[in-house]
Amino acid sequence: MGKGATTSGILNNYVIAAAVSAAAVGTVLAAFAAMPARAQSGQPITVGVITELSGPYSFFGTACRQGVEFAEKKIAAEGGVLGRPLNFKIVDDQTNPAQAVAAARSLDVQDNVLAVTGPTSSDIALAVYGYAEQNKVPFVVPVAAFAQLTKPGTHYTFRVEPDAVGWGYAAAKFIAAQKPGAKLALMYNDIALARAIVAGIKYQAPKENISIVSDILFPQGSNDATVQAAQVVAAKPDYVYLATVGAFDVTATNQLLDLGIKPEQIIHNVGTTSTLLGYGARSIGSIYGSFFDANLDNVTAEGHQFVDEYTQAVGRIPSYVENFCYNTPYIVKAAIEKAGSADREKFRDAMSALNMVEPTSGVPISFDKNGARKEYMYYMQLTGVAPPKSYTAKKLFYIEWAPETLPVYDLVK
Amino acid sequence: MMSSAALLVAISVITTGLVLGVIFSLVAAGVTIVYGSIWLPNASNGQFFLTAALICWSFATWLAMPIWAAALLTLLVSLPISYLLEATLIRRFYDVPDRNIAYFVVTLGVTQILSGIFSVTYGRWSDQFNLPPVVSGITFIGPFPMTNNRIFVLAAASVLLALLFVMLRFHPYGRALRAVFQNREAAALRGVNVRAIYRLSFALGMLSIFAGGILYGMAYSFDLTVAWTMAVTAFAIMIVGGPGSVLGAVVVGMVFGFTQAAVSIFANPTVATFSYLAAMLVILLIKPSGLFAR
Repeated sequence: MGKGATTSGILNNYVIAAAVSAAAVGTVLAAFAAMPARAQSGQPITVGVITELSGPYSFFGTACRQGVEFAEKKIAAEGGVLGRPLNFKIVDDQTNPAQAVAAARSLDVQDNVLAVTGPTSSDIALAVYGYAEQNKVPFVVPVAAFAQLTKPGTHYTFRVEPDAVGWGYAAAKFIAAQKPGAKLALMYNDIALARAIVAGIKYQAPKENISIVSDILFPQGSNDATVQAAQVVAAKPDYVYLATVGAFDVTATNQLLDLGIKPEQIIHNVGTTSTLLGYGARSIGSIYGSFFDANLDNVTAEGHQFVDEYTQAVGRIPSYVENFCYNTPYIVKAAIEKAGSADREKFRDAMSALNMVEPTSGVPISFDKNGARKEYMYYMQLTGVAPPKSYTAKKLFYIEWAPETLPVYDLVK
Repeated sequence: MMSSAALLVAISVITTGLVLGVIFSLVAAGVTIVYGSIWLPNASNGQFFLTAALICWSFATWLAMPIWAAALLTLLVSLPISYLLEATLIRRFYDVPDRNIAYFVVTLGVTQILSGIFSVTYGRWSDQFNLPPVVSGITFIGPFPMTNNRIFVLAAASVLLALLFVMLRFHPYGRALRAVFQNREAAALRGVNVRAIYRLSFALGMLSIFAGGILYGMAYSFDLTVAWTMAVTAFAIMIVGGPGSVLGAVVVGMVFGFTQAAVSIFANPTVATFSYLAAMLVILLIKPSGLFAR
């Protein structure tokens, strides 16, 4: 027993020594692997990321942070920008506009960041917009679709996500292409985003000969749509367009399906991975809007790499939210390179004159004089779900349009 | 003769009113039991409602438990949670005069803590949660197809409400609890262990709120915002029904459920959702102590 214990003790020492050696070798190798392709010298350029890591939007803020961090690592590995490291300082705004403004002020005054980015909520983005425009801090909005972020006279704000009125315009175009003279039912939440989408649909529908047979607005905090679903069924629409949010979106979808609406008749304003998986197998065949989808044919090699690495790290495929937040650091990098310095005014001018493509999908990126992006949208059809990780879908429709195509700022005051 | 479309809408109102009504009643009954005995206006009822739904979701999703087992285990989990809260927080205020204000502040604090915890845990995991159905399939009620899962939720909530009534009316603990509701000093003189009844009522109230949360999760997809909606609704029902009146909670809960479902036929759902709050204001103007106040 005693001898055995001694032998075991020696063996243990060997095992520990081997493990320590392996760890040391691994650390050295990892350090080499992590070294940037090109040396970065000089002061880092810092960009502030104000996003929702707690509060009601924590899911979207966390997803956005992950997208930014993936890009930050890749940019570092590629040698940074202008030979300098490009850092992103992430701050939690608690899904609170006042907190977001405080964070913007701190990043501006204390950290002297080149620009700020990050919000995924239009309310938060609007709060930061006020600070950014007043204090001349470039603000790159990755995932907030409210049109007022790029209203006429905007100088320092650039919206990466197409505006919500445009989503409605694209929906009407899609529906008209699918079925001329279609009858459409609308179900949407009483939030700024959904009201803007519906404004776009109502503007474009008559021009496309689409008749709106049912128009149902739900307050925030709604929990049941059975009665409204019955009213929609009674109106006999060809399509039901849903601009509902959160869990209520899944509830309303299920209740429409319960009452006999076919999945192919349901069009969701947008689809994220979590909601598409939440709809479940019974929603296969339903349609959703998107700005990036891992199932698209035009996903680039870098896009596939992002999808694979993100899926491995997070456990589900990224959707358009993560994609916008992944692409935003590349937009910032391209603008710094174009500006040739980390001066805010030069950066702003470079953003305004930017003409590039999304690294992940090749979709063009350019901004008009008010910072609105050249608009685009996909309509996809869900073809399979494999929870909790992924789903399959096919592209039905793609459209691009210039921001001035629509009287956006007349439709959404 | 009613057209098929009108009949479809009419039956949808009835079924929706029933499902919402029984869930509202169950939660409001839990809130009013605790208020009636301990004078504890539980501002964190919505967060505990959400806690139940999230725990059940975790058991069913992460531990891959059958939904019925996940639901039963979640109900059991409410007991140690109740005990822990009662022993650490609630008990300390039993002898404090005007403790209802202290309790309100304490439970607001609990609300903030739970809300913060959920937003950085579950909130980062997903923006919506779905429990698998207990039973699958659809049953036609006239032209209206109702999922068997919602029929199950309706039946289960009704049975739980009935059990709650039977327990309060016929069981010795229930009678003691009602005695404390009515006059705690007199109940103490008659040999009722008032502190034990406080503990029992807190556990029973939490059990009722947990049951409501689980059944809501079975009937609807849910997200973290449901806690605020339910907190306001349960308080409104308790105030209109009469604080401390379980019968009031059940009757007004059903009325609220039906109001929300019925108003949405002729008004938009925004008006429907807030119609019960308007009803609450009107009733309070007429009878400030609540409809079924003792």
